[in-house]
Amino acid sequence: MTRRKVFVVASQALGGLAGAAVVLPVVGFALAPVFQRGRERWESVGTIEDFGSETYKQVVFTEILGIGEAGKTTAYVRQGSEEYGEDPAEFIAISTRCAHLGCPVRYVQAAANFICPCHGGAYDFVGKRIGGPPVRPLDRFQTRVTNKRVELGPRYSVTNQLKAVRVRDPGEFTGGIWEYLYPPRPTTFPPP
Amino acid sequence: MKSPFPSRTKKADQAENGAMPGENGAVAQEEVKPTRKEKLSGHKDLAVHHGTEAGADVAGWVDSRTNASGIFTAMMSRHVPKGTNWFYTLGSATMFIFAMQAITGVFLSMYYTPSATQAYASITHLTNDVFLGEFVRSLHKWGSSLMIILIFLHMARTFFFGAYKYPRELNWVIGVVLLILTMVMGLTGYLLPFDQRSFWATIVANNITASGPIVGPYLADFLRAGPDFSATTLSRFYALHMLVVPGLIGALIGAHLFLVVKLGTTAPPWVRAARPKGAQRTESVEAGVAVADSDEVSVSSNGFVSNGSDEATPEADEAEVTEADSAPEEPEAPAAEPAAEESTTDQGPVEGGGSESTDAVDDEETPS
Repeated sequence: MTRRKVFVVASQALGGLAGAAVVLPVVGFALAPVFQRGRERWESVGTIEDFGSETYKQVVFTEILGIGEAGKTTAYVRQGSEEYGEDPAEFIAISTRCAHLGCPVRYVQAAANFICPCHGGAYDFVGKRIGGPPVRPLDRFQTRVTNKRVELGPRYSVTNQLKAVRVRDPGEFTGGIWEYLYPPRPTTFPPP
Repeated sequence: MKSPFPSRTKKADQAENGAMPGENGAVAQEEVKPTRKEKLSGHKDLAVHHGTEAGADVAGWVDSRTNASGIFTAMMSRHVPKGTNWFYTLGSATMFIFAMQAITGVFLSMYYTPSATQAYASITHLTNDVFLGEFVRSLHKWGSSLMIILIFLHMARTFFFGAYKYPRELNWVIGVVLLILTMVMGLTGYLLPFDQRSFWATIVANNITASGPIVGPYLADFLRAGPDFSATTLSRFYALHMLVVPGLIGALIGAHLFLVVKLGTTAPPWVRAARPKGAQRTESVEAGVAVADSDEVSVSSNGFVSNGSDEATPEADEAEVTEADSAPEEPEAPAAEPAAEESTTDQGPVEGGGSESTDAVDDEETPS
């Protein structure tokens, strides 16, 4: 190794070190949101008397803080029904976020279906897909009862058998091999 | 031991003794190094160029230090092939729209608030209250669509004229990256008004991104800066829209233009098809600077060259637009070659010796 070569390598190494000292923190700063999980939020949406097991009641609550109206979301809440193998002490909160591309669905009482206005996705009473482009049932929110008030918590997704999994974005399948093709993200909460 | 090189020995002695050069040395030094005044007197016009004369203007002073006029000449007084027509202006039109978007964008940013709770109100204020605000915003909004349209027309011209072929493939690649970046501008800019349409369109675009297997979910999290649309998403899109992507586009437009100047433009296919094989043109643009021969720079007024006239006098036509005709490789029958098969004869900047390799390519493509 010649003297010239030593100096070339040394100066390049110093330059690389200086560059890394700047670039690495910036990259970390930009990528950090992919690995950080926010704080768990629970919000009361009514008393336990407000919700029956026959039909849904529409509630609006804040899912994301700091962005005003855009942070609010709609959920359909009802009491658990033994007809569907649910615990009557539990409450079911169906998200209105369509599992196709995220448009807001609405519940139609006459048909007991959830209908998406964008591309015609349709779901049955418990949120399972019965038609249109959606790839999985409607998402749900965790529920709990505190002081006889129903509180909604983090969102989670379900498989076609209504097994709870970590929340996926709309358009992503759940269950089976899809759990690996659409891996769970560090930003999401574990399912109940 | 006496050295066979007396002069060297003398120098070595001087160095050893540290002595000042003697009389002979002084004379020699004066011969090698004339004074600054003598230098300038030897080149009278240099005094003007260097701005040492009283009458020198600022432009000349700058030009002598930057060669700005030379660069300008190289860019604006390039040789253009016969048949250059209005379709060749689509790239300039796209760049003009980009400049307009940049300027209007700067002024829009003076009123815009990249906050999820205030963005819509700031846009409303800009549109309804600010003098000409609606006009500038509309320029920006409609210009974005126009830029996409112009890019695709420019791309179609390049494709159908075969201008993406050797040696301009890299410029095509840069152009495709520019197209993608322009679409990123469209995506990120669409969210900024923050009305119902832009909000839900961005939600959908993010979910489409997320539906890509394996990396999709993480990519969507990166775009949104979290698992859901949040306060950071809007400011992130805003930063991408007005800082990151425009910088990349500007830099790549520079590279795009550099290659256009360096490689030159290509003739339309009908002009190339009409050119006999023997009369290949070699635009010997040296170091990107076209030699400023005014009679050669001029493009003939009849942009669309009829095949008949070309076949009749191919050499004369070529001489009008090319700097130097290469010696025909097959002088025995230049017009006998099947003219329609010619596809890569527009050699662009291939210098002298390069014509052989290009001929080899031609031979491959020409059925013999």
